[in-house]
Amino acid sequence: MGLTGRKSEKGPVCWRRRVKSEYMRLRQLKRFRRADEVKSMFSSNRQKILERTDILNQEWKLRRIQPVHIMTPCTVDSGFSEFSRQVIPLKTLNAVASVPVMYSWSPLQQNFMVEDETVLHNIPYMGDEILDQDGTFIEELIKNYDGKVHGDRECGFINDEIFVELVNALNQYSDNEEDDEEEDQHDCKFEKMDLCDGKDDAEDSHKDHALIQLKYIKGILHPKMKIFSLFNYPHVVPNPYKELTEQQLPGALPPECTPNIDGPNAKSVQREQSLHSFHTLFCRRCFKYDCFLHPFHATPNTYKRKNIENLVDGKPCGIYCYMEYPAGVIAERAKTPSKRTVSRRRGRLPNSNSRPSTPTVNTETKDTDSDREGGANSRCQTPVKLKLSSEPPENVDWSGAEASLFRVLIGTYYDNFCAIARLIGTKTCRQVYEFRVKESSIIARAPAVDENTPQRKKKRKHRLWATHCRKIQLKKGLYGSSNHVYNYQPCDHPRQPCDSSCPCVTAQNFCEKFCQCSSECQNRFPGCRCKAQCNTKQCPCYLAVRECDPDLCLTCGAADHWDSKNVSCKNCSIQRGAKKHLLLAPSDVAGWGIFIKEPVQKNEFISEYCGEIISQDEADRRGKVYDKYMCSFLFNLNNDFVVDATRKGNKIRFANHSVNPNCYAKVMMVNGDHRIGIFAKRAIQTGEELFFDYRYSQADALKYVGIEREMEIP
Amino acid sequence: AGSHGTFLKGSGDTKYSAQVMNCKANGAVYPSSGVSSIKKPKMEQLQADHELFLQAFEKPTQIYRFLRTRNLIAPILLHRTLNFMSHRNSRTNAKRKTFKVDDLLSNVDGMKGEPGSQSLTSHLQLTFTGFFHKNDKPCQNSENDQNSVSLEVLLVKVCHKKRKDVSCPIKQVPTGKKQVPLNPNFSQTKSGAFPSLLVSSNEFEPSNSHMVKSYSLLFRVSHTGKRDPNGFINYEADENFDVKEELPSRKKRNSSHRGDGETPETFVAQMTVFDKNRRLQLLDGEYEVSMQQIEDCPVSKKRASWETILDGKRLPPFETFSQGPTLQFTLRWTGDPSTAPVAKPLSTRSSDTSTTESRPSTLRNAPVGKEDLVSTSIQTRREQSPCEPIQKLRIFYQFLYNNNTRQQTEARDDLHCPWCTLNCRKLYSLLKHLKLSHSRFIFNYVPHPKGARIDVSINECYDGSYVGNPQDIHSQPGFAFSRNGPVKRTAVTRILVCRPKRTKPSLSEFLESEDGEPEQQRTYVSGHNRLYFHSDSCMPLRPQEMEVDSEDERDPEWLREKTTTQIEEFTDVNEGEKEVMKLWNLHVMKNGFISDNQMSQASMLFVENYGPYIIRRNLCRNFLLHLVNLHDFNLVTTATIDRAMAHMKEMEESLPELEEGRESSDATCNGHAVSSVVSLHGKRSKSGVSD
Repeated sequence: MGLTGRKSEKGPVCWRRRVKSEYMRLRQLKRFRRADEVKSMFSSNRQKILERTDILNQEWKLRRIQPVHIMTPCTVDSGFSEFSRQVIPLKTLNAVASVPVMYSWSPLQQNFMVEDETVLHNIPYMGDEILDQDGTFIEELIKNYDGKVHGDRECGFINDEIFVELVNALNQYSDNEEDDEEEDQHDCKFEKMDLCDGKDDAEDSHKDHALIQLKYIKGILHPKMKIFSLFNYPHVVPNPYKELTEQQLPGALPPECTPNIDGPNAKSVQREQSLHSFHTLFCRRCFKYDCFLHPFHATPNTYKRKNIENLVDGKPCGIYCYMEYPAGVIAERAKTPSKRTVSRRRGRLPNSNSRPSTPTVNTETKDTDSDREGGANSRCQTPVKLKLSSEPPENVDWSGAEASLFRVLIGTYYDNFCAIARLIGTKTCRQVYEFRVKESSIIARAPAVDENTPQRKKKRKHRLWATHCRKIQLKKGLYGSSNHVYNYQPCDHPRQPCDSSCPCVTAQNFCEKFCQCSSECQNRFPGCRCKAQCNTKQCPCYLAVRECDPDLCLTCGAADHWDSKNVSCKNCSIQRGAKKHLLLAPSDVAGWGIFIKEPVQKNEFISEYCGEIISQDEADRRGKVYDKYMCSFLFNLNNDFVVDATRKGNKIRFANHSVNPNCYAKVMMVNGDHRIGIFAKRAIQTGEELFFDYRYSQADALKYVGIEREMEIP
Repeated sequence: AGSHGTFLKGSGDTKYSAQVMNCKANGAVYPSSGVSSIKKPKMEQLQADHELFLQAFEKPTQIYRFLRTRNLIAPILLHRTLNFMSHRNSRTNAKRKTFKVDDLLSNVDGMKGEPGSQSLTSHLQLTFTGFFHKNDKPCQNSENDQNSVSLEVLLVKVCHKKRKDVSCPIKQVPTGKKQVPLNPNFSQTKSGAFPSLLVSSNEFEPSNSHMVKSYSLLFRVSHTGKRDPNGFINYEADENFDVKEELPSRKKRNSSHRGDGETPETFVAQMTVFDKNRRLQLLDGEYEVSMQQIEDCPVSKKRASWETILDGKRLPPFETFSQGPTLQFTLRWTGDPSTAPVAKPLSTRSSDTSTTESRPSTLRNAPVGKEDLVSTSIQTRREQSPCEPIQKLRIFYQFLYNNNTRQQTEARDDLHCPWCTLNCRKLYSLLKHLKLSHSRFIFNYVPHPKGARIDVSINECYDGSYVGNPQDIHSQPGFAFSRNGPVKRTAVTRILVCRPKRTKPSLSEFLESEDGEPEQQRTYVSGHNRLYFHSDSCMPLRPQEMEVDSEDERDPEWLREKTTTQIEEFTDVNEGEKEVMKLWNLHVMKNGFISDNQMSQASMLFVENYGPYIIRRNLCRNFLLHLVNLHDFNLVTTATIDRAMAHMKEMEESLPELEEGRESSDATCNGHAVSSVVSLHGKRSKSGVSD
């Protein structure tokens, strides 16, 4: 640091100027690019609008419109004599009735969770008179967001993208100076920077100087600090430039990212690494990757392997099968697991209630040729024995992708090498087997199977169900008395039963299939065994204000007829989205209203009230604005969350409030999520407008709406 | 009566307003109004009361007046088809019994022989039945001998322009002068006594010197009228007068204007016989020609426009025929000049289907005569039903307003609907008509010794929402009832009447219900009686779009886009993984899988739908990873993995062209991924999501 001599003084000044001008240039470029983007977006949008109007115009052309009888033709006199007077029949356009105001919203058929907003996105405009009357409103609003309003910051910030471009742009200034000592590109740049101002320093001081320069540049990236002032305050931060530019190299990826297994740069990695993205992003509740509803996903690593199935055809897969080859130990070994497999697969048969994790007795197996002694061998011995194989392994090249794939599959198929080979596709089972031998040290062992006596199971299950039903009744009492319904979050407390410390128990929720607890957990909801329609309190699901779970309720029909709307169970409409056709028109009461197309019967499901799921705090903040607008689409979901249909929602959001409604709302637990169903309170005729009482929905929903909406009712 | 001038102007031709005046003019003959019972009500009070009356009744009346006119010009329904108006139906089905389709041809053949010789053979015969002018008293009441006017008929020949001519040369050939009865009363005039005129068809032959372009008849009526300068209002006033009673008062009023009335006036009208293409325009028939006073309109109009402005007021169509000077005549092309047709007056004048108000001045005096007219104009009319009121039936309309605290009474002596002047002929029909067609009012029937009393009040629960086909709102007016030709109407199936239980017609159904509660006017058509809109664009829903639910798709476009961009944003997920995740997400969103049970089925369907794409984009191993992932989450079995991959392999083999395309697409896939990393770097990482 003692280096800041007279010589280098010229450098920073010159560089500061350069950086400044380059920065400005880049910003401008960015602005232009942004403007172009906006332009192209606008024109493409325009195109869409034109296409739509074309459709309508086409129809209008086909119509014959009776000319209105014109009494007075419209004449235009020109002041100049050379232009003749123009006469044209006066055509009067018919007045078009205006429609109520509608703020734009996005259609949605399922709830969508959004995070709290930390900045105020726009300052609402509600007319001058409101602002005049209540000048403090906006101030308070901004205070809610700690004074942060969207679009405040304009200068002084530099993001990664601009930074990288800036450094690249600065590189050109030192292009004419040659220095080849640098190891990589960035160091080179800093060296060059140094060179252009420094004369002929010693080699080590040279490096030192470069380091300082480097630190300057690093400083640029530090957030919230002005780029130019930073030049005077070197900070020690990791070099962001290096990090950022490395990604741009073709095929180069951040270290935590596994290379594409199908790509040319596939590397041989461990199973966890190969599956890491899939494991972390998959939502076990939505069956989607990076879903819109559940911010936290449990990874399957914590899941207990509930079933170990293994598909080894007892028979060799072909003449070159590894089983044929060593003939002795392997063949015997290979047959062993097959018995397990068959029996376990039976456990997984659909519609059977037996737990997949419970192994059953080795009964009649397909393969008849195997000797049973081998069955005693536990699988974990496999690698040891395989090593004993006398044959020298063939020398085969395993690409990174193949090796990775092998490690992935071995975790699923264990020693079913034939299946693994079939899935890899490019290797024979013998090669796989040999690779397995080589890799044996790192291969995960098949988890030990905890042996439960299967005989006990059925009886226990039955008892379980009876107790559950009793418990539901009990819980129902609690449920009814308290308005507080808490959000469900799958519990995860390994090696601990679901007792009073379990979050599900404390929140008075049942454990769901998504919980990490054992499937025999006492807190689990057992589902119903109805043969009827599940629309009376006879059905434990209906009683517990839950929809039937297609994975639990296997007799009522909730798990059948996926493609038809004809399901015997009437208690699974929300999850299946079996909504009624609704039509939008100006309301008879206020603003827009929603009308039903087909008649419905009492208690029939009409639609789900969908929207953004926001936290209670966020709802408080938003509700302040909505209250001012006298229009709110907030709907309390449970103690933790609120559904807001303002920005995203479905048509039912247009249903108005009434004290004498024809619909009611019910918050139901649907496969682990609370969702709001709108049901018919009485039989509703075709074309009737739908109303529900905003106040009497469960858990005093809509605390922000009731009052204002009531005033709209005459 | 002068104080009601505003009302008259405001509501144009409101008929019953004239009765208001009538009633008052007669010195409150029916004093039922609380206000009018006071002998000398203060002017302001009267004015205020009248304001209230107007407030209550003006708007619906105007609406019904408008609808009446519209229905006259372009009828939507025929009243005679209504069950309770069946007596208006003059047709009989007698002919239907003998009708055979086979006879059609012979009928036409039979007709063909006759008219061929008719066209230009001999004579054009005009028989004048009368000249009608409102401002003139009917002839029989006139004291002087001005019961006829002199009519001159000229044949105008417009010739082709020759080179030297500035305009088309016109030749006028006088064909004769006749005395035509002024405002004749048909009951007294014998048919056959009408003046008639013959024009030889030779006149229409091409003449020698000029090529005649067109022929037309010019009627010129000159008469020393006693025209009242402000005749129109005057007309309105005496429209409903019982002439005999009213004559003295009217005379008094008119006498002040009498001074300028004695000048001879000339009215003209022109009708084209042959147009310039020598097409015959005037066929046999009865005509009524609207005449123009010559100093008003020096330029003769070729045809009477259906909207006329008189005294600064715009008259509704055909109104001219009811008051303006008109000439009635019968036109006939005849071969034999001796057989003059039996002239009879035009039925438009007084029959109930007349386009305008009936002429009470004539009818009132001679109800029997009216019956004659009807029966003569339609020969096949069956005998009048006995319930037809031969005796005078007086109907008192009692208008209740201002929360039924005030009332005003008008009376009528006929069974015409006061709003649409429809002759209902029976009290029952009238009441039924009022109730069904004018539901903005509530009508209650109260028997009255002299006839009937009908209490009229405003229907507060009138549902103004549209009960017709809602699609008609969308299609602009003029479309639904186009007169230009056939138009495609929106097809809407609806049962209007399904054999309703018909109670026997009884006047008691119009009595005020006992419970005193005004009968709820319920809409007869339930269902979609409004125009719906698209929820995304607020555009009107077209009828063909009715069946499509815009919400039917579980994955709206923006959500699909959102999920792809969201996955694309990850910095630490490689492009192959991203691609498979995106495909899978779209697949799940589209199909809406909800249970674990569905997953193996979902995987197989995924292979089915996206298999070729996955193979083409070289994503098979990533797909396998995805399947293993599902297996790790306990959602599928290894059997599903095996089946899915086996299916994939089959597909790969059945796509032979893949091999060469693979390399390039492989490159593009990776290249694309790289570029996307550059543009989106630093946005999100999966590690951030997982904790």
